[in-house]
Amino acid sequence: MLAPLSAQEAVEAPEATAATDSVDIQLKIRAGVEIAGPAIYLTDKNILNLEAYCSFDLNEVRSIYAGAGFTDYHYSQYNYSFSAKGSFLKAGMDFNLLRPEMAEGRYWAGLGLRYGISRFSYETASFSYENYWGSTTSSVPRQSAWGHFIEASGGFRAELFKNFSIGWMVSARKLIYSGADKHVSPIYFPGYGESGSSFSFAINYFLTWNIPYKKIRVQIKPEPVEEPGDEETEGNDDFSRNVGRQRIGS
Amino acid sequence: MILVPVVMIFSIVACSPGSCFEETNALVKSTFYSDTSGLMASPDSLSIYGGANDTTLIYNRSQKVERALLPLDASETECSFVVEINGVTDTITFTYNSYPHLISKECGYTYYYTIEDPLFTGNIIDKITVTKNTVTTLAEENIRIYY
Repeated sequence: MLAPLSAQEAVEAPEATAATDSVDIQLKIRAGVEIAGPAIYLTDKNILNLEAYCSFDLNEVRSIYAGAGFTDYHYSQYNYSFSAKGSFLKAGMDFNLLRPEMAEGRYWAGLGLRYGISRFSYETASFSYENYWGSTTSSVPRQSAWGHFIEASGGFRAELFKNFSIGWMVSARKLIYSGADKHVSPIYFPGYGESGSSFSFAINYFLTWNIPYKKIRVQIKPEPVEEPGDEETEGNDDFSRNVGRQRIGS
Repeated sequence: MILVPVVMIFSIVACSPGSCFEETNALVKSTFYSDTSGLMASPDSLSIYGGANDTTLIYNRSQKVERALLPLDASETECSFVVEINGVTDTITFTYNSYPHLISKECGYTYYYTIEDPLFTGNIIDKITVTKNTVTTLAEENIRIYY
């Protein structure tokens, strides 16, 4: 999954100190835009999804995440025509699961947990219904609603150039509240997606600008490894070394 | 790293709309009871048609119908059915409110109804009770017809 370091990256790699016992990690503030939504809109004018986010590294593992977006959605089939439009906010925490000596402040592979809230309006411009008595055509007027959901994401992000990253996230969302009339609920709402089921899934592709703001030193803590015949290798430090970590300050 | 999500995105976009496999008509579910015994009693012969639509029969001398399904007219607030039970004819008139209901993205909309106590001529029907006044696509009994 990780590409080999280029010559430039090798030069800029955080310096390992004290015989690789610790590594310096650059904490960053990030601002990213989602590019899959506009790309999809080029091929399908029925859905426009614009989304951006900011994240703030608390340490080498955790980041505070805040995102916002706008969606304009249209759907029609033989018996009805639906549209929804609105904005959404998401906030939560990201967790980098890569070890610091592997992440080096430039790679991220991990999980995100967010709470999302959506303010949107929707309408059914027309629908038709047919039974024994004949066919009728009607509409459901535009109405506004709040939607709430939680989101769990997993993905990968890599710094391709200095302070410029690219990455993707796969998200699973759990609907908490669609905020709408139970009889004419929206089939889709911004931020969540298709609301016909209590779960929805999405994939996003981000371009991110990174702003370094602080450097911390993270210790790579040696850990003993149990080997067969421990008695024979007791006292052999090189043989029993493995990696662990402990942040020791900024 | 790059190709995997791109392929996934366009796979999602390329998904075609699903098919509708759900019930799309909310019908008045009517069961038949004997007025003397109080037990369920399917008519030996049952014919039903809409009061203003006598050219199309919903049931035509059907035998042993345990549950008759009656479609209401969504564009009106009242409709009647001519019901012939064992050769004797009655008319049942429903008064109701209708409102749209989204079934699913695949199926679209239907109408649900809230019915009042139906009126009927008493040639063979002795009594009609409403067991559930909300008429939906669920398989729930709405009225009992005693004859």
